[in-house]
Amino acid sequence: MSMQYIGLDKQIRKNNFNSVLLLIAFPALLLAMLYAIVYFLQKEHGTDPNTLFLQSAPAVLGGVGVWFLIAWAGHSTFIRMATGSKTLDRTENKRVYNLVENICISQGMTMPKVYIIEDDSLNAFASGINNRSYSVSLSRGIINKLDDDELEGVIAHEITHIKNRDVRLLIVSIIFVGIFAFLAELAFRSLRFAGSGKKSKDSKGSGGIILIAIVVTAIAYFISILLRFGISRKREYLADAGAAEITKKPYALANALRKISGDPLIEAVESRDVAQLFIDNPKPSVHKSASWDNMFATHPPIEKRIELLEQF
Amino acid sequence: MPVLIVVGVLAVIAIWLVSLYNGLVRLRNRRQNAFADIDVQLRQRHDLVPQLVDTVKGYAGHEKEVLIKITQARTAAMAATTIDGKIVAEQQLTTALAGLKVQVEAYPDLKANQNFLQLQEELSDIENKLAAARRFFNSATTEYNNSVESFPSNLIAKNFGFKREIMFDLGEDSRKQMEEPPKINF
Repeated sequence: MSMQYIGLDKQIRKNNFNSVLLLIAFPALLLAMLYAIVYFLQKEHGTDPNTLFLQSAPAVLGGVGVWFLIAWAGHSTFIRMATGSKTLDRTENKRVYNLVENICISQGMTMPKVYIIEDDSLNAFASGINNRSYSVSLSRGIINKLDDDELEGVIAHEITHIKNRDVRLLIVSIIFVGIFAFLAELAFRSLRFAGSGKKSKDSKGSGGIILIAIVVTAIAYFISILLRFGISRKREYLADAGAAEITKKPYALANALRKISGDPLIEAVESRDVAQLFIDNPKPSVHKSASWDNMFATHPPIEKRIELLEQF
Repeated sequence: MPVLIVVGVLAVIAIWLVSLYNGLVRLRNRRQNAFADIDVQLRQRHDLVPQLVDTVKGYAGHEKEVLIKITQARTAAMAATTIDGKIVAEQQLTTALAGLKVQVEAYPDLKANQNFLQLQEELSDIENKLAAARRFFNSATTEYNNSVESFPSNLIAKNFGFKREIMFDLGEDSRKQMEEPPKINF
């Protein structure tokens, strides 16, 4: 009987490392993009790009820093708004609280907040960046339609995400992807503006803007895709394994996943960025092709997860 | 130059020994902290027992023996001060309470009593939490014991008084396997 199943410690270290890496890599990438833009702009006017770069870098870093701090401080509110979750009443839901509390006691963890999404479908997610903001959100459907053992498995899965620091890494990446998505959108708009506007007096300048917009957009999308892949989908398997280790009932979680896979769609959830948080993808598939879905899926196929759980 | 190398090697060894020692201290402290979680539940159970005894008394007067046993076990459990002492005393209380659960089966009036039902629910709630806290405590103990017994940290453990500690379990068998059973004075 060992304290932790093999791989958990490694996963925690890896996640902490990746979080720090993201925090360092993101400003670096941003500055590189800024330099590229400044370089192309200045080349057309023939001045020194370094001066402009040094002048604009603090403003860009400051702006992004403020954005990041606001997102860091307010992420739980934003996520709750995006998913429509509310605090779960303790007196009315003793069963859920007992399950969460007992799992936390057995892991020696501080208890996260418990939220509910008033939706009849079955889904759940964890979020947060520290002991104060860690939370587990459950849909009304998952609370009502799963029995105690199954719900315990789902909660243990979410608790493992918190314990593994998966959630913190995800939040950091969601904030960064959000910033890039914003930049990309900005670039697209200026592209459309430049394209649809009547041929201006300075056609050379608008050509430069178009080029820059394309570069920024391409890089932003590329990076956001990289980030999504960088955050390994293996974490779902690890969280399943962690849950099985905590509850000693892998079959109960397998049953729960089977029930969840029948109806994981939460109508309120619009954003694909938030979708990565859930135990199973809450968004309906927009693509017919299975391989496309698999490549860009936020979650591994649930059949595979059930199969692995049943081998325990 | 050779002197420097020797000094360097000695320094590395010293740092390594210190980190082994600190690792043992950390694990021992974690076990003690884990027991604090258990203590919270134990205290709640102690608070609940007199109410339970009072309620049962009214319906099942001639089960005096069971009730006395429970009260005695509770008193002993509350008097215990060390972790090891508490573990043993609490096991007596758990056994006594389990005995009560069997006895009340013979009293349908009692089983229909609203107050009793509520107390019983609270008790089972506490015992579930106790079981969870025990799991954490036991895994912390296992980790500590592994460290105390396995090479090379066992060398440090032997010299600085780190001893193998007992688990909090309900079985009597594993208790007997312990080399030094803790001495408890009732």
